[in-house]
Amino acid sequence: MDMSSKRIKGNANLRRGLGSKTTDSDKIMEDPPAGDWLALRSDQLLKWIDDAVYNAAETTGMREVVDRVTRPIFNYAQRFSPHPLHFGIMCCAIEMGQASAPDHDIDRLGLVYRSSPRQCDVLIVNGPVCEKLRPKLKTLYEQMPEPKWVIAMGECAISGGPYWDSYSVVAGADTFMPVDVYIPGCPVRPEALMHGFLTLQKKIREKEPGMFLRR
Amino acid sequence: MEIKAFMKEVSSVKGVTKVGLVRNNVVKCNLDKEGSKDFFVKLKDDFGFEHCSLITAIDNQPQFELVYHFSAINGSVFVKDSSAAVMAEIHIFLDRDTPTVESISDLWFGANWHEREAFDLMGIYFIGHPDLRRVLLPEGFAGHPLRKDYVYEIHEEEW
Repeated sequence: MDMSSKRIKGNANLRRGLGSKTTDSDKIMEDPPAGDWLALRSDQLLKWIDDAVYNAAETTGMREVVDRVTRPIFNYAQRFSPHPLHFGIMCCAIEMGQASAPDHDIDRLGLVYRSSPRQCDVLIVNGPVCEKLRPKLKTLYEQMPEPKWVIAMGECAISGGPYWDSYSVVAGADTFMPVDVYIPGCPVRPEALMHGFLTLQKKIREKEPGMFLRR
Repeated sequence: MEIKAFMKEVSSVKGVTKVGLVRNNVVKCNLDKEGSKDFFVKLKDDFGFEHCSLITAIDNQPQFELVYHFSAINGSVFVKDSSAAVMAEIHIFLDRDTPTVESISDLWFGANWHEREAFDLMGIYFIGHPDLRRVLLPEGFAGHPLRKDYVYEIHEEEW
């Protein structure tokens, strides 16, 4: 009775990742086998995908072929549908709204503002990021699926702008997240935002991330 | 109550000094820190100032100055031949060593966040406030940045 309780305790520690105190390997009880044969765990599924799809495609040379065929299409699709997050911080957000208004119809570049970060490709940081906002913005960035890009819009997002010496404003969005395109201006005009998105399209085209079976 | 009569009554209250007019519908007076709560109760219940418009703090070194704005929207205090609502502007001066004053958030509920803001940015402690936390700055922020002697040391280096 005493031994079994000890074993269970050691096993629980091991499963929590805390590390077992015992060095004796036969004292550690193994996981119940149900997880192995009853259901397919996610890491097993990923391993199977790697084996069956990626490695098979790699060894037979199919990956090269499929890549070469689909890459321009994927790239084109990514280039002309950069869905930005509908997220406004300060006055640059007004210009962002103006950019999608009929005068500068930015929808023709394929920009559709989405309200959920799960459906977005581009995060536009359009204003000063204060210390209270920074962890939330970081969370939004991490919630976005790959591939993703960040546009720093306006002086505040680039370097802190007029608030660079403030007690609560972060000196630039690139101090805590990777930024792809910087758009100067205070505030940024809608034409400049459009040019920023064209620059982003250029970057996507040159980097060509639209690949089949990217790892 | 006409505004002249209101000023006369206010100037007879203990602790109130320098009663005057800013505009024809704004009364300004200074108030002592001790017994300020009694005056605020009187201001709400007897004179009918039912709206707390603003609480703010000023750092004129070395002392702090608290400014309260109250409005009598219901017309219990009025200006003759005018429909403008009467406002009372009350100044309380606090020492730098003991920046404490009694909270009025139980009289005017709107004063709650005003007091939290004054605590957050200027470090005025409101005694009896139900939830005196920071409003604008993140939790764990050190110091009160709108004080004149606040030093922010991160950006000291030259570019």
